[in-house]
Amino acid sequence: MARRKTLVWQIVLILTVIALFLSFNVGLYAALTRRLSNNFSGTSQAKMIDVRRYLPFEEDSDLARVNATLKLSGELPVLDGAAALVPVYASVINAVYPSGSVTYEGGAFSDDNYYGENFAADSKMQYKNTVRGYKAIVDGETDIFFSAAPSEEQKAYADEQGVQLHYEPIGLEAFVFFVNAKNPVNDLTAEQIRGIYGGTYTNWAELGGPDRPINPVTRLAGSGSQSAMEKFMGETPFAKKSPLAFFGASIGYSFRYYMEGIVDNNEVKMLSLNGAAPSPENIRSGAYPAVAQFYAVYREDDPNLNVKALVAWLLSDEGQTLIERSGYVRITS
Amino acid sequence: MKEKTFRRLLIIVMVVCITVTVIHFAYDVYAYWHCSIIYFIAKELWPYGA
Repeated sequence: MARRKTLVWQIVLILTVIALFLSFNVGLYAALTRRLSNNFSGTSQAKMIDVRRYLPFEEDSDLARVNATLKLSGELPVLDGAAALVPVYASVINAVYPSGSVTYEGGAFSDDNYYGENFAADSKMQYKNTVRGYKAIVDGETDIFFSAAPSEEQKAYADEQGVQLHYEPIGLEAFVFFVNAKNPVNDLTAEQIRGIYGGTYTNWAELGGPDRPINPVTRLAGSGSQSAMEKFMGETPFAKKSPLAFFGASIGYSFRYYMEGIVDNNEVKMLSLNGAAPSPENIRSGAYPAVAQFYAVYREDDPNLNVKALVAWLLSDEGQTLIERSGYVRITS
Repeated sequence: MKEKTFRRLLIIVMVVCITVTVIHFAYDVYAYWHCSIIYFIAKELWPYGA
């Protein structure tokens, strides 16, 4: 009898251990893994933008179109850019470059490409995104890079290499904050956002939301949105977040056009800042307080005369119309 | 079950469970830093409803 009791006790103990670990892993799956699965592969990163939608010289592409008076010939500048600006520089190529300027490895664009590796080495369109793209322009692989402001590290890399980069502002964009669409909070002040990332606010209840921890999500160092966030934070340092925050309700940041025009996921929503929504009207008027410029970046010593001609065209009415039709806000009136 | 056998079995079960949990956790950490945060936030659980 005593033996049987011991056996039952032993089995119960082993099953309890298994049940404890199992419930922990199931909880972790529901709270985190489920949201990360099929969401972090090289493919999903490449699919930060579906480049296929914006291929120049394709009739059914989603490019903005203008009748450009500038038609480039001779030595054509190689264009590259951040994910959110692919629609802009692909439209520029489509408008002012001769057809055949964009070529692909294997002769055709492949959906399997990661970060535009499918563009051939001699193609005038490349897609390296911000981190690799800033390095490529300093290294002389690219002539014009379309991007948000660089990070301090990217500026430092140019300095180390003795390369002087010129940053020509060509359009305006809103730096936006977003939350899950079910989060009842719709509007925050810029100071509250700094308070969230600075560690002053750690629960949504402190900001008129539900009693849930805030998970302030940051981005990879060197990305356009992380550099913009560092600028937005100013003197306020980023606080180290509690591990429990990962299980709370998140807030993240990006650029308006990327959220609205490229990803367009209706399960997230952009927040108003200081009562102003990030609409083109509010960006233009300055009512929305987090407006960022985006740039055509080129090496000061680039001997290709077409580089400056193209940048000048981007600031002309035709170029600005193209930028506006791409979904951004023009910088010149 | 003999005490010695039970202890061995318990250790094996715990090692397996801890290993699985550590792998699961490591996967989450790696995936978190490489995922699209838009989809990460979109798939957030909201038990309170809209």
